[in-house]
Amino acid sequence: MTRDELNAYRLLKEAQQANAQLHSRRHFLKESAMGLGALAMGSLLGGCGSFFSDKQTKIAYDPAHPLLPKSPPFLGKAKSVIYLHMAGAPSQLELFDFKPELMKMDGQDCPPSLLAGKKFAFITGVPKMLGPQATFAKHGQSGALISDNLPHFSTMADEVSFLKAVKTDQFNHAPAQLLVHTGSPRLGRPSMGSWVTYGLGSENQNLPGYVVLTSGGSFPDAGKSVWGSGFLPSVYQGVQCRSEGDPVLFIKDPDGMNRDLRKASIDAINQANEQQYQEYNDPEILSRIAQYEMAYRMQISAPDVMNINDEPVYIHEMYGTQPGKSCFANNVLLARKLVEKGVRYVQLFDWGWDAHGDNPNNSLNIGLKNKCRSIDRPITALLLDLKQRGLLEDTLVVWGGEFGRTPMMENRNGIQNPFKGRDHHTEAFTIWMAGGGIKKGYTHGETDEIGYSAISGKVDAFDIQATILNQLGFDHEKFTYPFQGRPFRLTDVAGKVIKEVVA
Amino acid sequence: MLEFIGRFHPVLVHLPIGILLLACIFILLSSKTKFASFRPVIPLTLLLGALGAIASCLTGYFLANSGDYEGKLVSLHQWMGIAVAIISLFLYVLYVRTKARVALNCISIFLIVLISITGHLGGSLTHGEDYLTAPLKSGGGKNQSAIPAIPNIQDAVVYESAIMPLFKSRCYSCHGSEKQKGKLRLDEQDFMLKGGKNGPAIIAGKAEDSELVKRLLLPLDNDKHMAPKEKPQLTENELTLIQWWINQGADFKKKFKELPQPANMKTVLANLANGNAGITESKVSEIPEKEVVQADVEVLKKLTNAGITIVPVSQNTNYLSANFINADFDQPILVLIPKVEKQLIWVKLDNKKVNDQVLAVFGSCKNLTRLSLNNSSITDRGLMQLTKLDQLQYLSLVGTKVSMGGIRTIAKLKKLKSLYIYQTNIKPTDYANLKKMMPNLTIDTGGYSIPFLAQDTIVVKAPAKM
Repeated sequence: MTRDELNAYRLLKEAQQANAQLHSRRHFLKESAMGLGALAMGSLLGGCGSFFSDKQTKIAYDPAHPLLPKSPPFLGKAKSVIYLHMAGAPSQLELFDFKPELMKMDGQDCPPSLLAGKKFAFITGVPKMLGPQATFAKHGQSGALISDNLPHFSTMADEVSFLKAVKTDQFNHAPAQLLVHTGSPRLGRPSMGSWVTYGLGSENQNLPGYVVLTSGGSFPDAGKSVWGSGFLPSVYQGVQCRSEGDPVLFIKDPDGMNRDLRKASIDAINQANEQQYQEYNDPEILSRIAQYEMAYRMQISAPDVMNINDEPVYIHEMYGTQPGKSCFANNVLLARKLVEKGVRYVQLFDWGWDAHGDNPNNSLNIGLKNKCRSIDRPITALLLDLKQRGLLEDTLVVWGGEFGRTPMMENRNGIQNPFKGRDHHTEAFTIWMAGGGIKKGYTHGETDEIGYSAISGKVDAFDIQATILNQLGFDHEKFTYPFQGRPFRLTDVAGKVIKEVVA
Repeated sequence: MLEFIGRFHPVLVHLPIGILLLACIFILLSSKTKFASFRPVIPLTLLLGALGAIASCLTGYFLANSGDYEGKLVSLHQWMGIAVAIISLFLYVLYVRTKARVALNCISIFLIVLISITGHLGGSLTHGEDYLTAPLKSGGGKNQSAIPAIPNIQDAVVYESAIMPLFKSRCYSCHGSEKQKGKLRLDEQDFMLKGGKNGPAIIAGKAEDSELVKRLLLPLDNDKHMAPKEKPQLTENELTLIQWWINQGADFKKKFKELPQPANMKTVLANLANGNAGITESKVSEIPEKEVVQADVEVLKKLTNAGITIVPVSQNTNYLSANFINADFDQPILVLIPKVEKQLIWVKLDNKKVNDQVLAVFGSCKNLTRLSLNNSSITDRGLMQLTKLDQLQYLSLVGTKVSMGGIRTIAKLKKLKSLYIYQTNIKPTDYANLKKMMPNLTIDTGGYSIPFLAQDTIVVKAPAKM
């Protein structure tokens, strides 16, 4: 036997054994005893939405049509999500969280009470306090404080809800990003977009349901796992598209391959896969077939929707796009186009917000200002454009980073950094949400007078995930997937819908 | 501990009620020879009933002492309960000793009456005094406004005409003269200001700091939320009213017109005047209240196969949402739509060629609440097909050729809440007219632009010296 034959033989053996086990007396007794016990348990614990009761949200997963649209358990306000993640963590103290007290302390030694028992990513010894490096003003009827780093977005104060007391427990980029998007700082969990497309499918069968767009010259630190599908069927992982060149690599047929031939080859591959499926019954094979078929359809639909060149000039001016290049503005415009075409979840990552102050591009007075300029027009345009197309009512827009930044100036290895910068900070940062049934012009949560820690309205990543799922029509406690013998959910064992920001 | 035992009272009472009633019925029946065979079980039934009654009395006593109950009703219930226990025990002794038929029958009938009254009093304590008769009164007990209509609202005394009736129907059953959960009474001014276990219920002028308001505004799943989750909740109007009244000094004598009335009170006042304050505003739901029959599965399958995204808007309804994003309107599809016309409530026809025939088909889907026709080929003539959609709440016509004339034909759609007309043939000069024509509508005319600022182009650079 060759090695492959041996492997096939072993697989077959294993399958037979598994099948035989399902028909054994032992299995019957075990299952029925457990079943009865579970029934009794379920009725005892039924009140708390336990795993034993039948209150779990039922998701009909059809491996042959994994992206067919599905109904949410209850009527959600939002149908799609655009998540704008500023990778590297923007400084809340230079954008939304104005702290005049901190200004007075500028240059003083950090009080020991703020350092006792705390760990920072880079700060060692006693750092100096650093006042806000931007000018703030009240905006809109809601009077939201927004800094002059975002002059255009300031006009949107009455459209969004600010969460000013977001907390996390991870002070390094990769785990913190994973926590925000997968509900766990470690690898292996499905990302939010995967959960959402698993639960809702997609409106458009010719496009992926979950699209990821990156800008800023680098991937988020957590790598592609941050849009991975974890233990969910792999068809639900985010599909990374590009705003420069081909939207998806190798989407064009190679020279000499016409579309009929392409179709014929895909059909042949699918037939082979179909045979394989008959033999092994692995639903992942059906997913693979479905993905080949979608890829074939995408060859036509994706270049069309991913092409921003046919947008009118005033739209380009509004977003500040740079056609032909890869930039955040282009991605934001694409996000609007994709949502318009029925894509369920669009995830943007913009890298370069890690303002430590170790070099000019990472400083609050130079690099951060340039980053702010690159997003200010696009995010403003996105909200306005969605609004005028009647899409903001059912599109949820979320903006944020993975953690906040310290009110202290960073002193790497005990030596003051050459530029003004702040270290990673877990205790308080700002995230905003808009559209999709979120309150307009509202601020939830507050930090202390120097912006060090949250004092009221504290929320964490799980609460935000719970809220996003709630807006889409899911109870995050009941939206589970069985894996390794227990039901898993995005929010694990935590999370509370932030009702204060739900309109 | 005693209070814990006391809480078994509501469960336990049902035993003596049932058993004793049965025993009395047996006694009455067994006087006929036909039912003489019941006789042997009568002593046992009576004994069990009497023991149950005693146990109920004890637990009831503990519960009454827990401090949540006080007043005439409780003591009446208590003494009648004790009477039931004593009389049933006496009946048992009498039955075992004498078998005096007439006396037994008379006492049995008396016991039945006594148990009924005691039981009713107990029920009134738990559910509120008018619980039993409420469905007979006007409004049938359900969705009834807590506050009766106040015709001359400005001349009415705030507390007397609005606050008191509201408290009476939503609070008194637990915080009134009979029962004082958390030692709180809300039926008189002094009690309110004195408050309960957690201090004063209201602080005049400070609604946010008043315990009453705090509890009312807690999330529904919080244990301290009032009214309790399973009881009727206060509506948005009623909450605004209470907060306003407390903020204006919680005066028990002043009339509506004597207090300042901010903008958010205008609608509340209007609703109070016509007795609609009990109707929850947000109930203007996107799903019709009446559930519809399930759409034909075969039809849905055919539509799905034709590339139409069609699913129920949520798992708990049969109403459908449909997106025609990848579908073409050919004859077979158009024939299928009328088969789901009752179920369709959300429809997206963006970028489609929608001729009169297509629009006629959708124009008869009378339950439609959301319709999006962005960048479709609809014209003013097409809009005329939509005049029967009187449930429509959302209409998006972005990028179409409709003009002011077409909009006039749909101006009669009363439920319409939002209208999107960016990039249509409606001219900016018409916007004012449009607003006047449909004043309750949120109209988004779009065409936003973002000004160019110097800051947009200035790249901040590091000082050269560094």
